[in-house]
Amino acid sequence: MISIHIHAAARRASGSGSVAAMAYHSGYGAHGSKHRARAAAEPPPLFDDTSGGYSSQPGGYPAPGAEVAFNVNHFLGDPMANVALAYGSSIASQGKDMVHKELHRFVSVNKLKYFFAVDTTYVAKKLGLLVFPYTHQSWEVQYSRDVPLPPRQDLNAPDLYIPTMAFITYVLLAGMALGIQKRGQSEPPPAADGGELPICGRRFSPEVLGLCASTALVWVVMEVLALLLGVYLAAARSDLSTLHLLAYSGYKYVGMILSVLTGLLFGSDGYYVALAWTSSALMYFIVRSLRTAAPVPDSLGGPAPRQHLQLYMTLGAAAFQPLIIYWLTSHLVR
Amino acid sequence: MAFTLYSLLQAALLCVNAIAVLHEERFLKNIGWGTDQGIGGFGEEPGIKSQLMNLIRSVRTVMR
Repeated sequence: MISIHIHAAARRASGSGSVAAMAYHSGYGAHGSKHRARAAAEPPPLFDDTSGGYSSQPGGYPAPGAEVAFNVNHFLGDPMANVALAYGSSIASQGKDMVHKELHRFVSVNKLKYFFAVDTTYVAKKLGLLVFPYTHQSWEVQYSRDVPLPPRQDLNAPDLYIPTMAFITYVLLAGMALGIQKRGQSEPPPAADGGELPICGRRFSPEVLGLCASTALVWVVMEVLALLLGVYLAAARSDLSTLHLLAYSGYKYVGMILSVLTGLLFGSDGYYVALAWTSSALMYFIVRSLRTAAPVPDSLGGPAPRQHLQLYMTLGAAAFQPLIIYWLTSHLVR
Repeated sequence: MAFTLYSLLQAALLCVNAIAVLHEERFLKNIGWGTDQGIGGFGEEPGIKSQLMNLIRSVRTVMR
């Protein structure tokens, strides 16, 4: 379409709004009648589809009815509205480019994409592995020519999809659990205990949900920082990047969800049973995974004290998980 | 404990500040953690103590 071509030319040239306006305005007078005739034939786009290939029609917009289309057509027949449209969409594309650039400075998008390259069978198998890791034999991450295989092809590779989804599910589940709680249970005891109740133990209200989410996020960040410090102090030259550690510390949310669900269904005893089971499974999983991931064999070989140190760090990280799981979920299943 | 992201930021800032105010001459040398006391040989075993000292020194250098 004519509007898209002119818009593309303006964007490629300098992207500033005035150029787009001028280019569009100059092009409009010549093609005015043709534009109107063409716009009457198909539903006019309310905003340009500026993402990538221009071969597709702006097809997200179904034609509601003849008179509505004609009214919109009449509105878009106004040259000033078209100019504003082009200007707005060029501003939007500029904003999108700027956001991409800023994001690229902090997080390498390619590395992030590696962690999200999952498929359904991988997710199913990984969830089964998180719950029952005792029969899995080989825990090595497979490489292909020095590049680790993406999670789609290797079951042992860490991914960020499961932790992200588990985190979001945990927040929603916390909201639901708080709403289900009976009135007598969910009100904090009036000055009876000297200790501080975690704020997720109140009755449900929308800000409690946000507080719960940010509390869990803060614990994740602190744990990742502690793990990074541990890896740095142990001076382990491994390929455990920050995102790897984020993935491994995000796997506990699956255990949390299972514990909370069992607690809601079967009461407090079920909660403790599920807590014990998922904690031990998670500890086993983390110890096995990190022991094969951490020491990268270099030519000199790892000296003995450093390996002890790494083992202590791994065990410490694993032992920390049940505490966090208990702390973040006990108030939900009271 | 209800943590907000703001409280995490505050805590991080206070910790970094605490590391940055450790005075080199008056304090660290007296407990044997000065920067010229720790860098032993050029061996491959840094050890925890020299890693910590390196960390403190880098934090202080960045925060100066």
